[in-house]
Formats: sequence, structure tokens, C-alpha cells
Amino acid sequence: MDDQVDVVVVGGGSTGCGVIRDLARRGLDAVLVEKGNLTHGTTGRMHGLLHSGGRYAVSDQKSARECIEENRVLRDIAAHCVEETGGMFVKRPEDSEEYFREKLEGCRACDIPAEVIDGEEARRREPYLARDVEKAIVVPDGAVDPFRLCVANAADAREHGARVETHAEVTDVLVEDDAVVGVEIEHDSGPGKRVHREPGTTEEIRARYVVNATGAWAGRIGEMAGVDVEVRPSKGVMTVMNTRQVDTVINRCRPKGDADIVVPHETACILGTTDEEVDDPEDYPEEEWEVDLMIETLSELVPALKDARTLRSFWGVRPLYEPPGTGTDDPTDITRDYFLLDHAERDDLPGMTSIVGGKLTTYRMMAESISDHVCGKLGHDADCDTADVPLPGSEDFSVLRDYMEEFGIRSPIGRRSAQRLGSRTDDVLGGTDPNPVVCECEGVTRAEVRDGIEQAGSDLNAVRLRTRASMGNCQGGFCTHRIASELAQEYPEPVARDAEDELYQERWKGQRHALWGRQLSQAMLNHLLHATTMNRDGDPATTDADVDFGAFDAGVEPGGGGSAGDGSESDDSAAGVTATDGGIDAAESPDATDGGTHGDR
Amino acid sequence: MTRHTENGDGADGTDGSHGDGGPNDGDRRGANDAQRCGCGGTDGTPQPNVPEIGRDERPAIFVPDGGDEEGAGAGPSETDGSAAADAPRTATDGGVESATGGSDSTELDPDAYDPIDVFPEGDLDLRDGADSCYKCTSCDTSCPVAEVDDEFPGPKFQGPEQWRLKRKDDHDIDESITSCSNCMRCDDACPSSVPLSQMHNEARGQFVEEQMEKLSLEYVRNRILANYRTSARLASVVPRLSSFAMNFGPARWAMDKVLGIPKEREFPEFATTTFREWWRDRGGAQIENPDKRVAYFHGCYSNYNTPEVGKAMVRVYEHFGYEVMVPPQKCSGTPMFANGMLKDARRHAETNVENLVEAIGDGADVIASCTSCSMSLRQEYPELFDIHGIEDVSDHTFEALEYLRIHEDLDGALAESDGPGDEQSFAYHAPCHARNQGLARQAVETFRDVDGVEMEDVGDSCSGISGTYGWKSEKYEKSMQIGEEMFDHMEDAEGEVGMTECPTCAMQMEHGTGYEIEHPLQLLEETLVA
Ligand SMILES: Cc1cc2nc3c(=O)[nH]c(=O)nc-3n(C[C@H](O)[C@H](O)[C@H](O)COP(=O)(O)OP(=O)(O)OC[C@H]3O[C@@H](n4cnc5c(N)ncnc54)[C@H](O)[C@@H]3O)c2cc1C
Ligand code: SF4
Ligand code: SF4
Repeated sequence: MDDQVDVVVVGGGSTGCGVIRDLARRGLDAVLVEKGNLTHGTTGRMHGLLHSGGRYAVSDQKSARECIEENRVLRDIAAHCVEETGGMFVKRPEDSEEYFREKLEGCRACDIPAEVIDGEEARRREPYLARDVEKAIVVPDGAVDPFRLCVANAADAREHGARVETHAEVTDVLVEDDAVVGVEIEHDSGPGKRVHREPGTTEEIRARYVVNATGAWAGRIGEMAGVDVEVRPSKGVMTVMNTRQVDTVINRCRPKGDADIVVPHETACILGTTDEEVDDPEDYPEEEWEVDLMIETLSELVPALKDARTLRSFWGVRPLYEPPGTGTDDPTDITRDYFLLDHAERDDLPGMTSIVGGKLTTYRMMAESISDHVCGKLGHDADCDTADVPLPGSEDFSVLRDYMEEFGIRSPIGRRSAQRLGSRTDDVLGGTDPNPVVCECEGVTRAEVRDGIEQAGSDLNAVRLRTRASMGNCQGGFCTHRIASELAQEYPEPVARDAEDELYQERWKGQRHALWGRQLSQAMLNHLLHATTMNRDGDPATTDADVDFGAFDAGVEPGGGGSAGDGSESDDSAAGVTATDGGIDAAESPDATDGGTHGDR
Repeated sequence: MTRHTENGDGADGTDGSHGDGGPNDGDRRGANDAQRCGCGGTDGTPQPNVPEIGRDERPAIFVPDGGDEEGAGAGPSETDGSAAADAPRTATDGGVESATGGSDSTELDPDAYDPIDVFPEGDLDLRDGADSCYKCTSCDTSCPVAEVDDEFPGPKFQGPEQWRLKRKDDHDIDESITSCSNCMRCDDACPSSVPLSQMHNEARGQFVEEQMEKLSLEYVRNRILANYRTSARLASVVPRLSSFAMNFGPARWAMDKVLGIPKEREFPEFATTTFREWWRDRGGAQIENPDKRVAYFHGCYSNYNTPEVGKAMVRVYEHFGYEVMVPPQKCSGTPMFANGMLKDARRHAETNVENLVEAIGDGADVIASCTSCSMSLRQEYPELFDIHGIEDVSDHTFEALEYLRIHEDLDGALAESDGPGDEQSFAYHAPCHARNQGLARQAVETFRDVDGVEMEDVGDSCSGISGTYGWKSEKYEKSMQIGEEMFDHMEDAEGEVGMTECPTCAMQMEHGTGYEIEHPLQLLEETLVA
């Protein structure tokens, strides 16, 4: 009982990370526990749209107002996580004129700046838009990086004394005398940073209050405490394109529907989505028709998508909540609003509140309201400042300097790094020399990878989320081993191996849904490189097999003329062959197999 | 299904029918067209010799007439202004071209043109070209500059990676793009049809446009080198003096120090009679034949420096009964692409396309004796510019030897000939740009059975000069390092005379070995015509 903390927050998604920051800044002693990485749940599998509220302007104006309000806040406090892309609701000829008008009026009613432009102007801004797009409403949508956002929230919480435990699953909610008094957690590899191959441990954390911010999993935590939380998980697919066909968020202006939005995100474009209720937030079918539907339907808006390269697809589950007794059949009709479920009031179980529903865009507002609620319960008097104080990385971050000059990296890489690191750029890039590029597709340098490792331990997926390394077109084929070898500076070799395998597997998972055309070529090339060149399909280091190395290379037969003789002979004959016929006949030359003089260029 | 495994599916069919030597080029062009205009079908049924409508119907931006007006005010042009004033005439009458007027002289002043005149539609967005790259790195391993220059990140970065990392409004192209020599070996190496050189050209153009200090000496130097034609035209007014003065000690020292043109290089000699003067003096074409017409794109170098190549072309083609036309023309753009001077290149392209389209309308195919010129007209033009008729020019352009090998029984004619006067051995270097057109072997194949001719291919390395690349002091060492392999092989070869289709490769070959260098057309002339 001595080491009782004030609050345990369960769930390291946007909601949980927002809550822990808020509580820590208000001076409470708080712990965040998350069973995977930060953003392991829905937050890591969402679309990345910083809502302007436009999407809810007709159906759910309360949410729409919250969105635009928070949209403005995040541009300010989380500048390095947000790209101000702007957005459009585009109307095709078959889309209803009346709905277009309603949308426009809705936006105006909710204080969402909205401007109508004609098709030509829309195509001038986005040349890949379909020719028959008639007009569009321009709104201040944006793109938000959920990983960076959560990491920054958690980092700020830590700076204010909070403890953040990832890979720490809550296995039980401690209930004593009909009140929640804490949680039991299982550390995957002991407390602190995750390191592969360290033995797991369990820990009881006693707390004056527990916040259940596990989103689609809220029902499970509820169960552990013996209460009902009726979350209705609803899945949605997102398909990642290799390049940005558009630099603006493109929404289709029609009531509700699948596959109606394209969000530019970093180097890629993400297509989405569907809305289908599922039973289990962790086990649901990922179906090919869903991917096909994205590409087919959205190419009505952006025809170039049809032939563009797809990198991968992933699915997320929405933590939709329906107050008991509403009885809605269609998940798209369930409100996007969030709810605080005070289990003391609801279930006579004091000590715990669940927060469910909502959106990433409004995470801060949700966090503020639950923090107010918790402070009330604990009788703690402190004001919320999260809307005004920038997140680490977004302080004084206004100008992108020329990092190329300063840190000797190439300019598009410097720009990308600076966009990711924000105000931390100098700290991170300054220390590493030489600083080669580790992930070529996304332009991630060694300095950033090392910074990620420092924060996340041997967990390379967490490094990936922080840096975007391995998220480009090769999907890790050319960089997982390079990233892993950065690990090898600090960790033993088997740890680096496991971490590498895990990252590579994770990249493969999403690519399975893009195995045609050019990504298939990529996957095959990756496979051959890893399997044959690096021997990773049967590495003796992992299979413990005895290897007869002699069988691979028996060496040069003795008596072949000596090594010096070999060299000059091949030179002679190469010149001799080229004498009249150039390269072509060289293939028949006995020396052809050694690659000739040009082979090693 | 909506999924395509390749990006060129739709366009191949229409492009395949031209039977030109470069099926890869065809694919690529087709694919890019389809991506860019999204309409396809405009070039559905090409009719022989009838100019088709270009990919779009926007008029050319620089109307050549306007160019004349512009030129009227510029002083130095007055020397050949008399010809310029003549009424339009057909190319076959041997007229000295006039379309250039004097406008070139103002072009060296960076402030003399208005940037908004060019690229009215904005820059090309080539991010989606990155879709085809699967990172195999073949391009990097075949890049001659990356091999000798540790600072140069290589074609994969310059092309698909840089374009993918870019956002539409980003204008920070990495400076290293100026180190690419535009030899296009990476294009040839890529198994996945990534439009590397197109990406490089566009990126270089954007870099020069946005980032290079317009009045820096480097910029001025690069413009002088890129606008070789202008310098050459001025120099050839007083050729002997120019040849002397350009290579005169103190002048060279100043060029090296001030402009960064390496003093080791000797400026090419200027001919006392340019090709066009010769053409005019001989009274133009000696043969009229509406069924066999070719329009000769001589390029700057054969006009000002090696008119003997141009003369050989004319004599050989007339030997086979062709009517040769010599339409008015400007620089093909090759040196301008390599220096990111896309605006200059476009302005010249407009004149070239207009005149060549007219010749094509008269039934001619376009013949270039320089492989970089034919490369430019065939591939770079349609990749970079939307000019009415530019696709037709691309489709109808051939290299001189290539064309004869397609249409004439060259082997037969050579077999019947007695060979050149005496035994000759050549060290042949295939220019990189020839390789990209599938022409790297043509000279060897053409001459290997000819009695008395020994033709040795000196291998597939790059000569290292790549047009203007080797003409920059800071690149000189690298250029010579790249050329090393070729020099060695030339020394090894039996012949003491070099042979190549590319004039700048020829300069490098001569510079590195001291050999005299010939063009295959000259040997053909000697064998067949003399
Ligand atoms: C397809 C899709 C697209 C979306 N697009 C957008 C969008 O564009 N814009 C937007 O604003 N919103 C969007 N959303 C909504 C948004 O993603 C979610 O509302 C938000 O991410 C929810 O965050 P959360 O923290 O509440 O839940 P989660 O991110 O799911 O966090 C819950 C966390 O709890 C952890 N957890 C679960 N059980 C345990 C346990 N026993 N012990 C410890 N930890 C546990 C999980 O691992 C998880 O990390 C989208 C949602 C979906 C499904
Ligand atoms: S064009 Fe030549 S120099 Fe330039 S990147 Fe390609 S191979 Fe290298
Ligand atoms: S050769 Fe082509 S596919 Fe391979 S890395 Fe270079 S651009 Fe990419």
C-alpha cells in the first residue's frame, strides 16, 4: 500500500497518452500501462486525418464543432505531428446537389471555414482529380501522425514525473471491498525499456484511481473488474499507396459510404475505409474485397490510383460505444462522440472510470474531461494547460532551416528529418557523425534510428513508429538489417536478431495485402535478398545446424597456373576477345564466369 | 480487375508499330503519356508522314516569328542577318538557316527572358515514377560518376528516392544533382523502366531554376557551356582567330580561374567553312527524290567544328539515292539538359520541332549524326516538353547509320566495295547515349566483315566527358578518372585511330590518347563513295 500511485491509466493509444500527459502536468503521480507499443491498438491503425469536422457537419454537428476546435489546437501544440494539407469535399456528377448544399451549410453552422471552388480550380490544385469532378468544398482538414503524437504526449508526461510502461499488459483489475484499487500487469521483458529475451515479470500497481482507456478492448478490462462496457468494435480497412497522388485530403461529398477518403500522409497516400461491426477487436477477417473496393471506388475520384503501386493494407477497429438501449443496427449510425463511464455511478464500483468512443482528433479534449473528472474524484485542484503548452518537438518550431548544410545530409532527407523531429532536430542530428542514411525510402539517418533506440530499447517496431524507417517502398527489404545492426552496438547479437525478425515480420504482414504488380516484385526481391543472400531462410546461427562450409567453396584446383597467372590470363583474353567483337562473344570466353573486368563496378 | 502489373500496358500497342531501334524507349514514353494526360488514344493510327496532333493542343510558347523580332535588336547577329531577312524557303534549297536570328546573344544574359513564359503549366510532378523502383540498385552500380565521386549519391537517390521524398511544393532538390553527367547509363541499367534521366533532367531544371544563384559564375559558366551553339556561332565568324584565342595561354588561365573551365582542355577547332556554308555553296541537295527523303539534323558540332562528318552524311545518303534536306535548326538541347537549362532547351526545341515537323510533312525522316542529338529528339523531347508535333519528331528520328542499316542493304554494298584505300584499324567507343538507343554495336557490326577494316570495341565503359561535364574544372579530374578505362583499352587496341558517333566522346578520346578520331560516316564515305 505504501507505493500507491494516484492514477493508473490503462491503454497507450491517443486517449491514454493524452490522459497521462494531462494528469502528470496537473501534478498527479500517474502510471501508463500499455500491452504493446504506444499506439499498439486502434491509434496505430487509423487513417491519420486531422478532422476539420467537415465529415460530421451534416450528421453529427456536436462532433463537428469539437473537431474544428481541436483541429486548431493541435496545429498549435503539435505542429511537428501535423501537416496542414487542407482538404476538399469533391462532388461527382452522380452525387447529390442537395447534400453538397447541406454539407456547406453544415460546415458554416459549425464554424468550419468552407469555400466552394469549381472543378477546374480543384484540378488546378490537385491535378490527378478526375475530370468530371464538378466542384468542391475546401475545408481545413489536415494529416496527423498518430505515432509521433502519442510519443510526444508520453514524453511530456515522463518529463512531468509520470511512469510509462509499454509491453505491460493488464491481466487483472484489483478489486477490494467493492472498489477498484489497482491493476496487475505482466511485463513482457521486465519493467523499463523493452529488451528482447529478458524474462517477463508481473507487478501489482496499486492506485487511488484507475482510468480504463483501452478503446475497443474496454469491455475486457470491464470484465476483469466485473462490469459491463458495451463497446461495439467496428473494423475499417486502409490501403497505403507508394506515393502521394494528392497533397490534399480528398473526401467524397456524399452521405455515408465506404471508400470515400484519401489522406496524404508523409511520403504516401492512405485510402479508406469501411465500417463493419466485428465481435473480437483482435481477431477478425481481413478480406481482399475490402482492398479492391478502396482502389476501385476511390479511383472514381483519383483515376491514377488504379494503376498506382500499393504498399500494404491494414485494418483498425473503432471503439464505438452505444449507450444501452439505443439499439442501432448499422455501425455507421453509431455516434462518434465519446463517453465517460463512471463505474461508481453506473455499477456501484468506485475507483474506476472507462472512456470510450471518440476520435483521435479530439483526444486532448477527451483527456481534459476525464482528467477533470479524476481530479474531482481525488479532490485534486489543478488547471488543465494542455491546450496551450506545445508538445515536446513542437516548441518554437516555425522555420525549417537548411539542415543539409548544418548536418551534412542531403536536402530532401534533412527536410524530412526536420519535419519528423521538429524542435528536437538539432539535438538528434547534431550528435552522430558520420550520419549515413539507414532507410533510403523514407530518408532516415543513423542519428534518428539511434535516438529511437534510446527511447524504445530493442523494440524496432517502436523505432519504426518514431522514425518511419522501413515504412517506404521496400517495406524493410533493404533496411531491417541495417536498423538491426544499429542495435548491435548496444545489445547482444541474439537480441538484434530477434528484433530484426520481428520488424521484418511486421512489414510482411501488411504487404500480404498488396501482392500484385510492383509490390510483388519488391516482395520477391526482398525475399531473395534475405533468404539467399543473408541466408535468413535457414540461418545456421538460428537453427543450430552444423554447416559444412567446405561444401560451398572447395577453392581453386591446385595446378591451375597459380593466382598471379590467373589474373593476367583473364586480362589478356578479355582484351583478345574484345578485339574484334566487343562484349558479345565474351560470353563464350572461358573467363566469362568470373565477371570480366567490368563485373565489379 | 483494376490492377495492372506494369505501367505500360495500354500504351504499348500503339507505340510498338514504329519499328524504331529502341523498344524500351517506346514503352517508357507510352507509359508516361498515359499517366500524364490520362486520355491515350490520340496517337491511335499514325499516318505516314502526316504530322499528328501532339499530346495536347496547346500552342508552342515561343512562336519563331517572335524570335526573329527579338533578334533584330541584338547587335552581334547582324553578321548573318542578311540571310535571316530572306523570305521563308524550303530546306532543300540550301539556305543558311535564319531562325536563330540574333536571339542567342541575349540568351547569355540571365535577365533577358521572363521566367513565366516557360512551363506555363508548372513543373512536372514525377513522384509516381518512383512506383516502378524496387530499389535493386542496378542503376547505382552502373553509374560512372558514382564510381569515382564519393560525394555523389547515385541515380537511385537522385531519381526515384528524391522524387518520392519530395512534396509538391518542396523546392529543395539536392545540390548533388549537378554532378550527374546525364550519360543515361542508369536508364539502360534499370530493369524496371524507372524514368531516371527524365527525373534527373526535371530535378536539375528545378534546382537550377530555384536554387542556383542565377548570377553566380558557375551558373554563367554552365550557361556558356550549355549554349555552346551560341559561342560556336560567334567563334566561327572568325574561326582561326577563335581557335587560337580560345586556347591562348592567358585566356585559358582566366577561363579556368574565373569561369572554371579546365585549362587542360583544348577548345575544339572551328572549321573555316561551316557545314551550312558548304551546303549553301554547293547549292543544296544534288538529288531530288520525293520517295526517299531525309531531313538532316547536323547539330552544332558537325556544323561548326567537324563539317567533314556532315559532308560525309550527305555524300553517303546521296550515294544511296536520298534527297537530303537541311532544315533550319538550333541546338538539340543535350548540353542544356545536362546543365538544367530547361528553358533554353525548350526555346531551341520549339524551333527544331516546328521545322522538323514541316520536313516530316514533306515525307522526310529525321537523321542525326550525333547520338546525343538523336537521343534528345527521340526521348528527352517528349519526356520533358509538350510541344505540338513533338511526338512525331520523336517517332521519325533515327541515327544516321541506324537508318541505313534498316533501309538499305549496307552489308551488301560494303561487301561489293573494295574497302577503303588502305588497311585501317580503329579503336571504337560506343557512346553511352548510343547504348540507350540500342546502337552500341552498330559500328562494329557494320564494319566487321569489311576487307581492310579492323574495328575493335574498347568496351562498355563511359568516356567520362558526357558533353559538358568534363568541361568544368571541378569535374575535370573525375571526368578523366572515368575515362581511364577507355583510354587504357584504346591504347591496348591495335588501331591508332579512334572512332565514335559522339562529338564530345571524340574530344575526350583525343584528349586522353592523342589519337585522331573519326565518325563511322566518314569511314562509310571513304569505303562506298570515294
Ligand atoms: C479505420 C479507422 C480510421 C480512423 N480514422 C480516424 C481519423 O482519420 N481521424 C481521427 O481523428 N480518428 C480516426 N479514427 C478513430 C481513432 O483512431 C480512435 O478513436 C482513437 O485512435 C482511439 O484511441 P484510443 O486510445 O481510445 O484507443 P486505442 O488506440 O485502441 O488504445 C487502446 C490501447 O489499449 C491497449 N490495451 C488493450 N487491452 C489492454 C490491456 N489489457 N492492458 C494494457 N493495455 C491494453 C491496446 O493495446 C491499445 O493500445 C479511426 C478509427 C478507425 C478504426
Ligand atoms: S545519367 Fe549517368 S551520371 Fe547521371 S546518374 Fe545516371 S548513370 Fe549516373
Ligand atoms: S535500377 Fe531501377 S529499379 Fe533498380 S534501384 Fe535503380 S531505379 Fe530502382
